[in-house]
Amino acid sequence: MGFGDLKSASGLKVLNGFLSDRSYIEGYVPSQADVAVFDAISAPPTADLSHALRWFNHIKSYQSQKSSLPGVKKPLGQYGPPGVADTTSGSAPAAKEDDDDDIDLFGSDEEEDADAARLKEERLAQYAAKKSKKPALIAKSSILLDVKPWDDETDMSKLEECVRSIQMDGLIWGQSKLVPVGYGIKKLQIGCVVEDDKVGTDILEEHISAFEDFVQSMDVAAFNKI
Amino acid sequence: MALRELSSLEKYLGLKKPNKYSTQGDKKVPVLQNVNGPPLVGLVTVACHLVREAKRPELLGDCAESRAVVQQWLEYRVTKLDGCTREDVKTILKDLNLYLQDKVYMAGNRFTLADTFMFYGIHPLIVDLAVQEKEQYVNVTRWFDHIQHYPGIRHPLPPVVVLRNKIYSSKHH
Repeated sequence: MGFGDLKSASGLKVLNGFLSDRSYIEGYVPSQADVAVFDAISAPPTADLSHALRWFNHIKSYQSQKSSLPGVKKPLGQYGPPGVADTTSGSAPAAKEDDDDDIDLFGSDEEEDADAARLKEERLAQYAAKKSKKPALIAKSSILLDVKPWDDETDMSKLEECVRSIQMDGLIWGQSKLVPVGYGIKKLQIGCVVEDDKVGTDILEEHISAFEDFVQSMDVAAFNKI
Repeated sequence: MALRELSSLEKYLGLKKPNKYSTQGDKKVPVLQNVNGPPLVGLVTVACHLVREAKRPELLGDCAESRAVVQQWLEYRVTKLDGCTREDVKTILKDLNLYLQDKVYMAGNRFTLADTFMFYGIHPLIVDLAVQEKEQYVNVTRWFDHIQHYPGIRHPLPPVVVLRNKIYSSKHH
Protein backbone atom coordinates (compact mmCIF):
# COMPACT_ATOMS: atom_id res chain seq x y z
CA MET A 1 0.00 0.00 0.00
CA GLY A 2 1.02 3.61 -0.42
CA PHE A 3 0.51 6.53 -2.75
CA GLY A 4 3.73 6.51 -4.71
CA ASP A 5 5.63 9.75 -4.33
CA LEU A 6 3.28 12.14 -2.55
CA LYS A 7 5.52 15.04 -3.39
CA SER A 8 4.99 14.48 -7.10
CA ALA A 9 1.91 15.01 -9.24
CA SER A 10 1.46 11.31 -9.85
CA GLY A 11 1.36 10.55 -6.12
CA LEU A 12 -1.25 13.25 -5.56
CA LYS A 13 -3.28 11.76 -8.37
CA VAL A 14 -3.30 8.39 -6.63
CA LEU A 15 -4.36 10.16 -3.44
CA ASN A 16 -7.09 11.97 -5.33
CA GLY A 17 -8.47 8.73 -6.69
CA PHE A 18 -8.26 7.09 -3.30
CA LEU A 19 -10.18 9.91 -1.64
CA SER A 20 -12.88 10.17 -4.29
CA ASP A 21 -15.19 7.92 -2.31
CA ARG A 22 -13.99 8.45 1.22
CA SER A 23 -13.66 11.41 3.53
CA TYR A 24 -10.62 10.27 5.45
CA ILE A 25 -7.59 8.08 4.83
CA GLU A 26 -8.91 5.58 7.35
CA GLY A 27 -12.37 5.13 8.75
CA TYR A 28 -14.96 7.81 9.26
CA VAL A 29 -13.24 10.21 11.63
CA PRO A 30 -10.01 12.18 11.29
CA SER A 31 -7.07 10.23 12.69
CA GLN A 32 -3.32 10.12 12.77
CA ALA A 33 -3.50 8.41 9.38
CA ASP A 34 -4.69 11.70 7.93
CA VAL A 35 -2.02 13.63 9.78
CA ALA A 36 0.71 11.31 8.48
CA VAL A 37 -0.35 11.73 4.86
CA PHE A 38 -1.05 15.44 5.36
CA ASP A 39 2.44 16.01 6.68
CA ALA A 40 3.96 14.20 3.73
CA ILE A 41 2.39 16.60 1.26
CA SER A 42 4.43 19.71 0.63
CA ALA A 43 1.85 21.95 -1.05
CA PRO A 44 -1.94 21.95 -1.38
CA PRO A 45 -3.14 19.79 -4.28
CA THR A 46 -4.13 21.67 -7.39
CA ALA A 47 -7.75 22.51 -8.10
CA ASP A 48 -8.21 19.75 -10.65
CA LEU A 49 -7.53 17.17 -7.94
CA SER A 50 -10.74 18.16 -6.23
CA HIS A 51 -10.99 15.16 -3.89
CA ALA A 52 -7.46 15.54 -2.60
CA LEU A 53 -7.95 19.28 -2.21
CA ARG A 54 -11.18 18.84 -0.27
CA TRP A 55 -9.50 16.39 2.08
CA PHE A 56 -6.45 18.65 2.39
CA ASN A 57 -8.53 21.65 3.41
CA HIS A 58 -10.57 19.55 5.78
CA ILE A 59 -7.53 18.15 7.56
CA LYS A 60 -6.00 21.62 7.63
CA SER A 61 -8.96 22.72 9.73
CA TYR A 62 -7.88 20.19 12.37
CA GLN A 63 -4.37 21.64 12.47
CA SER A 64 -4.68 22.95 16.04
CA GLN A 65 -5.84 19.59 17.43
CA LYS A 66 -3.54 17.56 15.23
CA SER A 67 -1.78 15.74 18.02
CA SER A 68 -4.97 14.82 19.85
CA LEU A 69 -6.53 12.99 16.92
CA PRO A 70 -7.01 9.28 17.59
CA GLY A 71 -4.94 6.48 16.15
CA VAL A 72 -1.26 5.75 15.81
CA LYS A 73 0.94 7.13 13.11
CA LYS A 74 2.22 4.46 10.78
CA PRO A 75 4.66 4.68 7.89
CA LEU A 76 3.07 6.03 4.73
CA GLY A 77 3.32 2.64 3.06
CA GLN A 78 0.59 1.37 5.40
CA TYR A 79 -2.04 3.63 3.93
CA GLY A 80 -3.65 4.03 0.59
CA PRO A 81 -4.76 1.73 -2.17
CA PRO A 82 -3.25 -1.72 -2.43
CA GLY A 83 -0.87 -2.30 -5.28
CA VAL A 84 0.85 1.06 -5.04
CA ALA A 85 4.15 1.35 -3.24
CA ASP A 86 5.21 4.31 -1.17
CA THR A 87 8.12 6.16 -2.70
CA THR A 88 7.77 9.51 -1.00
CA SER A 89 11.26 10.79 -0.43
CA GLY A 90 12.28 11.03 3.18
CA SER A 91 9.11 9.45 4.47
CA ALA A 92 10.57 6.16 5.63
CA PRO A 93 11.76 6.34 9.18
CA ALA A 94 15.50 6.72 8.91
CA ALA A 95 16.68 3.19 9.50
CA LYS A 96 20.03 3.84 7.94
CA GLU A 97 22.99 2.27 9.55
CA ASP A 98 25.21 4.54 11.50
CA ASP A 99 27.36 6.70 9.34
CA ASP A 100 31.07 6.42 9.55
CA ASP A 101 31.19 8.92 12.36
CA ASP A 102 32.41 6.33 14.78
CA ILE A 103 36.03 5.49 14.71
CA ASP A 104 36.25 1.97 13.49
CA LEU A 105 38.74 0.42 15.79
CA PHE A 106 39.02 -2.82 13.93
CA GLY A 107 39.17 -1.18 10.56
CA SER A 108 36.64 -3.33 8.79
CA ASP A 109 37.98 -3.49 5.30
CA GLU A 110 35.97 -2.54 2.30
CA GLU A 111 36.04 -6.01 0.86
CA GLU A 112 33.62 -7.12 3.51
CA ASP A 113 31.22 -4.35 2.55
CA ALA A 114 31.38 -5.39 -1.05
CA ASP A 115 30.65 -8.94 -0.03
CA ALA A 116 27.66 -7.85 1.99
CA ALA A 117 26.39 -5.74 -0.86
CA ARG A 118 26.73 -8.62 -3.28
CA LEU A 119 24.89 -10.94 -0.93
CA LYS A 120 22.11 -8.41 -0.55
CA GLU A 121 21.83 -8.04 -4.28
CA GLU A 122 21.64 -11.77 -4.74
CA ARG A 123 18.89 -12.06 -2.18
CA LEU A 124 16.95 -9.27 -3.80
CA ALA A 125 17.24 -10.95 -7.18
CA GLN A 126 16.06 -14.21 -5.66
CA TYR A 127 13.12 -12.47 -4.07
CA ALA A 128 12.19 -10.72 -7.29
CA ALA A 129 12.34 -13.98 -9.20
CA LYS A 130 10.15 -15.67 -6.63
CA LYS A 131 7.70 -12.82 -6.72
CA SER A 132 7.42 -12.83 -10.48
CA LYS A 133 6.64 -16.53 -10.52
CA LYS A 134 3.64 -16.02 -8.30
CA PRO A 135 0.69 -15.60 -10.65
CA ALA A 136 -0.90 -12.23 -10.26
CA LEU A 137 -4.59 -12.35 -9.53
CA ILE A 138 -6.47 -11.25 -12.62
CA ALA A 139 -9.79 -9.58 -11.98
CA LYS A 140 -12.41 -10.88 -14.36
CA SER A 141 -16.02 -10.07 -14.93
CA SER A 142 -18.83 -11.84 -16.63
CA ILE A 143 -20.98 -9.52 -18.67
CA LEU A 144 -24.34 -10.17 -20.27
CA LEU A 145 -25.00 -7.90 -23.22
CA ASP A 146 -28.26 -7.03 -24.92
CA VAL A 147 -27.77 -6.18 -28.56
CA LYS A 148 -30.81 -4.76 -30.29
CA PRO A 149 -31.29 -4.84 -34.07
CA TRP A 150 -32.97 -2.11 -36.10
CA ASP A 151 -36.11 -4.04 -37.02
CA ASP A 152 -37.51 -7.51 -37.54
CA GLU A 153 -35.79 -7.76 -40.91
CA THR A 154 -32.29 -7.56 -39.50
CA ASP A 155 -30.45 -10.82 -40.03
CA MET A 156 -29.81 -11.94 -36.48
CA SER A 157 -27.35 -14.68 -37.40
CA LYS A 158 -25.32 -12.14 -39.30
CA LEU A 159 -25.51 -9.81 -36.32
CA GLU A 160 -24.26 -12.49 -33.99
CA GLU A 161 -21.46 -13.28 -36.40
CA CYS A 162 -20.46 -9.64 -36.38
CA VAL A 163 -20.46 -9.44 -32.60
CA ARG A 164 -18.46 -12.61 -32.27
CA SER A 165 -15.97 -11.35 -34.81
CA ILE A 166 -14.75 -8.84 -32.23
CA GLN A 167 -11.51 -10.23 -30.97
CA MET A 168 -9.64 -8.64 -28.13
CA ASP A 169 -7.01 -9.64 -25.66
CA GLY A 170 -8.81 -10.70 -22.49
CA LEU A 171 -12.21 -11.12 -24.08
CA ILE A 172 -13.96 -14.47 -24.39
CA TRP A 173 -17.41 -14.75 -25.90
CA GLY A 174 -19.86 -17.10 -24.25
CA GLN A 175 -23.30 -18.41 -24.98
CA SER A 176 -25.93 -16.39 -26.72
CA LYS A 177 -29.63 -16.57 -27.34
CA LEU A 178 -32.33 -14.61 -29.08
CA VAL A 179 -34.92 -13.04 -26.84
CA PRO A 180 -38.18 -11.83 -28.35
CA VAL A 181 -38.86 -8.17 -27.66
CA GLY A 182 -42.19 -7.79 -29.39
CA TYR A 183 -43.62 -7.27 -32.90
CA GLY A 184 -41.46 -10.11 -34.14
CA ILE A 185 -38.29 -8.31 -33.18
CA LYS A 186 -35.70 -10.29 -31.30
CA LYS A 187 -32.68 -9.06 -29.46
CA LEU A 188 -29.43 -10.90 -29.11
CA GLN A 189 -28.44 -11.71 -25.57
CA ILE A 190 -24.80 -12.72 -25.46
CA GLY A 191 -22.51 -13.43 -22.54
CA CYS A 192 -18.81 -12.83 -22.34
CA VAL A 193 -15.97 -12.99 -19.85
CA VAL A 194 -13.54 -10.09 -19.77
CA GLU A 195 -10.40 -9.25 -17.88
CA ASP A 196 -11.18 -6.01 -16.12
CA ASP A 197 -7.84 -4.41 -16.86
CA LYS A 198 -7.96 -5.08 -20.56
CA VAL A 199 -11.57 -4.79 -21.63
CA GLY A 200 -14.21 -2.39 -20.40
CA THR A 201 -17.88 -2.11 -21.24
CA ASP A 202 -17.18 1.13 -23.06
CA ILE A 203 -14.75 -0.53 -25.44
CA LEU A 204 -17.23 -3.33 -26.07
CA GLU A 205 -20.03 -0.90 -26.72
CA GLU A 206 -17.86 1.07 -29.11
CA HIS A 207 -16.95 -2.00 -31.09
CA ILE A 208 -20.42 -3.49 -31.18
CA SER A 209 -22.22 -0.31 -32.12
CA ALA A 210 -19.69 0.07 -34.92
CA PHE A 211 -21.74 -2.50 -36.87
CA GLU A 212 -24.26 0.20 -37.68
CA ASP A 213 -25.99 -1.81 -40.37
CA PHE A 214 -27.22 -4.37 -37.87
CA VAL A 215 -26.99 -2.93 -34.40
CA GLN A 216 -29.33 -0.26 -33.18
CA SER A 217 -28.13 -0.17 -29.61
CA MET A 218 -26.33 -2.17 -26.98
CA ASP A 219 -26.94 -2.44 -23.27
CA VAL A 220 -25.24 -4.15 -20.40
CA ALA A 221 -27.90 -6.48 -19.00
CA ALA A 222 -25.84 -7.93 -16.18
CA PHE A 223 -22.37 -7.40 -14.81
CA ASN A 224 -20.83 -9.78 -12.32
CA LYS A 225 -17.39 -9.87 -10.83
CA ILE A 226 -15.89 -13.33 -10.88
CA MET B 1 -41.00 9.74 9.52
CA ALA B 2 -40.39 13.20 10.94
CA LEU B 3 -41.19 11.97 14.43
CA ARG B 4 -38.75 9.12 14.07
CA GLU B 5 -36.05 11.58 13.04
CA LEU B 6 -36.72 13.73 16.06
CA SER B 7 -36.62 10.84 18.47
CA SER B 8 -33.31 9.60 17.08
CA LEU B 9 -31.98 13.14 17.28
CA GLU B 10 -33.01 13.17 20.94
CA LYS B 11 -31.06 9.97 21.45
CA TYR B 12 -28.01 11.41 19.72
CA LEU B 13 -28.16 14.55 21.84
CA GLY B 14 -28.53 12.47 24.94
CA LEU B 15 -31.70 14.15 26.11
CA LYS B 16 -33.02 12.23 29.06
CA LYS B 17 -36.74 12.82 29.04
CA PRO B 18 -38.42 12.09 25.74
CA ASN B 19 -40.67 14.87 24.48
CA LYS B 20 -44.24 14.39 23.40
CA TYR B 21 -44.97 15.13 19.78
CA SER B 22 -48.10 15.33 17.78
CA THR B 23 -48.66 15.97 14.11
CA GLN B 24 -50.63 18.59 12.33
CA GLY B 25 -52.32 18.75 8.96
CA ASP B 26 -52.08 16.57 5.87
CA LYS B 27 -48.32 16.74 5.66
CA LYS B 28 -47.93 15.50 9.24
CA VAL B 29 -45.95 18.49 10.41
CA PRO B 30 -44.51 17.62 13.83
CA VAL B 31 -45.60 19.72 16.78
CA LEU B 32 -43.88 19.86 20.15
CA GLN B 33 -46.08 20.75 23.09
CA ASN B 34 -43.89 23.05 25.12
CA VAL B 35 -44.57 23.21 28.84
CA ASN B 36 -43.68 26.82 29.31
CA GLY B 37 -44.60 28.51 26.08
CA PRO B 38 -46.49 28.12 22.86
CA PRO B 39 -46.19 24.84 20.93
CA LEU B 40 -43.34 24.55 18.43
CA VAL B 41 -44.40 23.71 14.90
CA GLY B 42 -42.22 22.28 12.15
CA LEU B 43 -39.35 19.85 11.89
CA VAL B 44 -36.55 22.41 11.78
CA THR B 45 -37.97 24.53 14.56
CA VAL B 46 -38.32 21.56 16.88
CA ALA B 47 -34.87 20.22 15.97
CA CYS B 48 -33.17 23.57 16.63
CA HIS B 49 -34.99 23.76 19.93
CA LEU B 50 -33.74 20.31 20.92
CA VAL B 51 -30.17 21.22 20.00
CA ARG B 52 -30.34 24.36 22.12
CA GLU B 53 -31.86 22.44 24.99
CA ALA B 54 -28.99 19.92 24.85
CA LYS B 55 -26.51 22.81 24.85
CA ARG B 56 -24.87 21.73 21.62
CA PRO B 57 -24.92 25.04 19.71
CA GLU B 58 -22.00 23.94 17.53
CA LEU B 59 -24.43 21.61 15.74
CA LEU B 60 -26.09 24.69 14.31
CA GLY B 61 -22.79 26.04 13.04
CA ASP B 62 -19.76 27.49 14.77
CA CYS B 63 -19.56 30.80 12.97
CA ALA B 64 -22.04 33.16 11.36
CA GLU B 65 -21.37 31.79 7.90
CA SER B 66 -21.81 28.15 8.78
CA ARG B 67 -24.90 28.98 10.87
CA ALA B 68 -26.42 30.49 7.75
CA VAL B 69 -25.41 27.48 5.64
CA VAL B 70 -26.92 25.06 8.16
CA GLN B 71 -30.18 26.97 8.22
CA GLN B 72 -30.20 27.10 4.46
CA TRP B 73 -29.81 23.32 4.13
CA LEU B 74 -32.38 22.62 6.83
CA GLU B 75 -34.79 24.76 4.90
CA TYR B 76 -33.82 23.06 1.65
CA ARG B 77 -34.54 19.73 3.27
CA VAL B 78 -38.04 20.70 4.32
CA THR B 79 -39.04 22.70 1.27
CA LYS B 80 -37.27 20.93 -1.60
CA LEU B 81 -36.32 17.44 -0.53
CA ASP B 82 -39.54 16.49 1.21
CA GLY B 83 -42.15 15.67 -1.34
CA CYS B 84 -39.88 15.99 -4.33
CA THR B 85 -41.10 14.38 -7.52
CA ARG B 86 -39.36 11.73 -9.53
CA GLU B 87 -38.17 14.32 -12.03
CA ASP B 88 -36.61 16.42 -9.28
CA VAL B 89 -34.45 13.61 -7.98
CA LYS B 90 -31.84 13.87 -10.73
CA THR B 91 -31.50 17.63 -10.34
CA ILE B 92 -31.26 17.38 -6.57
CA LEU B 93 -28.56 14.73 -6.70
CA LYS B 94 -26.67 16.57 -9.40
CA ASP B 95 -26.69 19.83 -7.47
CA LEU B 96 -25.75 18.13 -4.25
CA ASN B 97 -22.96 16.23 -5.96
CA LEU B 98 -21.49 19.47 -7.22
CA TYR B 99 -21.93 21.14 -3.85
CA LEU B 100 -20.22 18.35 -1.94
CA GLN B 101 -17.26 18.15 -4.29
CA ASP B 102 -15.09 20.32 -2.06
CA LYS B 103 -16.82 19.65 1.24
CA VAL B 104 -16.67 16.85 3.74
CA TYR B 105 -19.78 17.93 5.62
CA MET B 106 -22.74 19.98 4.47
CA ALA B 107 -21.42 23.04 6.29
CA GLY B 108 -17.75 22.65 5.50
CA ASN B 109 -15.49 20.99 8.01
CA ARG B 110 -17.68 20.13 10.97
CA PHE B 111 -20.63 17.83 11.48
CA THR B 112 -23.85 19.79 11.90
CA LEU B 113 -27.58 19.35 12.11
CA ALA B 114 -27.71 19.92 8.35
CA ASP B 115 -25.89 16.62 7.81
CA THR B 116 -28.31 14.74 10.03
CA PHE B 117 -31.42 16.04 8.36
CA MET B 118 -30.14 15.99 4.81
CA PHE B 119 -29.13 12.40 5.49
CA TYR B 120 -32.61 11.43 6.68
CA GLY B 121 -34.15 13.31 3.80
CA ILE B 122 -32.00 11.87 1.05
CA HIS B 123 -31.98 8.31 2.36
CA PRO B 124 -35.07 7.25 0.42
CA LEU B 125 -33.51 8.60 -2.78
CA ILE B 126 -30.19 6.85 -2.26
CA VAL B 127 -31.85 3.53 -1.50
CA ASP B 128 -33.37 3.50 -4.98
CA LEU B 129 -30.17 4.36 -6.79
CA ALA B 130 -28.48 1.79 -9.01
CA VAL B 131 -24.81 1.03 -8.56
CA GLN B 132 -23.97 3.04 -11.63
CA GLU B 133 -25.84 6.08 -10.38
CA LYS B 134 -24.12 5.86 -7.03
CA GLU B 135 -20.85 6.02 -8.87
CA GLN B 136 -22.06 8.89 -10.95
CA TYR B 137 -22.90 10.93 -7.84
CA VAL B 138 -19.67 9.95 -6.15
CA ASN B 139 -19.52 12.98 -3.87
CA VAL B 140 -23.04 12.43 -2.58
CA THR B 141 -22.31 8.75 -2.07
CA ARG B 142 -19.11 9.49 -0.18
CA TRP B 143 -20.84 11.99 2.07
CA PHE B 144 -23.78 9.63 2.59
CA ASP B 145 -21.55 6.70 3.47
CA HIS B 146 -19.61 8.95 5.82
CA ILE B 147 -22.71 10.15 7.67
CA GLN B 148 -24.23 6.69 7.95
CA HIS B 149 -21.03 5.57 9.65
CA TYR B 150 -20.61 8.72 11.70
CA PRO B 151 -20.10 7.66 15.31
CA GLY B 152 -22.98 8.49 17.60
CA ILE B 153 -25.62 8.89 14.95
CA ARG B 154 -27.82 5.96 15.63
CA HIS B 155 -30.44 6.18 13.00
CA PRO B 156 -33.34 3.86 12.49
CA LEU B 157 -32.76 3.73 8.75
CA PRO B 158 -31.31 0.62 7.13
CA PRO B 159 -27.70 0.98 5.97
CA VAL B 160 -27.09 1.40 2.26
CA VAL B 161 -24.36 -0.67 0.73
CA VAL B 162 -21.70 1.37 -0.99
CA LEU B 163 -19.32 -0.38 -3.31
CA ARG B 164 -15.70 0.58 -3.03
CA ASN B 165 -14.43 -0.90 -6.26
CA LYS B 166 -15.44 1.03 -9.32
CA ILE B 167 -17.26 -1.02 -11.88
CA TYR B 168 -17.90 1.65 -14.44
CA SER B 169 -14.42 3.01 -13.97
CA SER B 170 -14.10 4.67 -17.34
CA LYS B 171 -16.63 7.33 -16.31
CA HIS B 172 -14.69 10.31 -15.04
CA HIS B 173 -16.04 12.74 -12.54
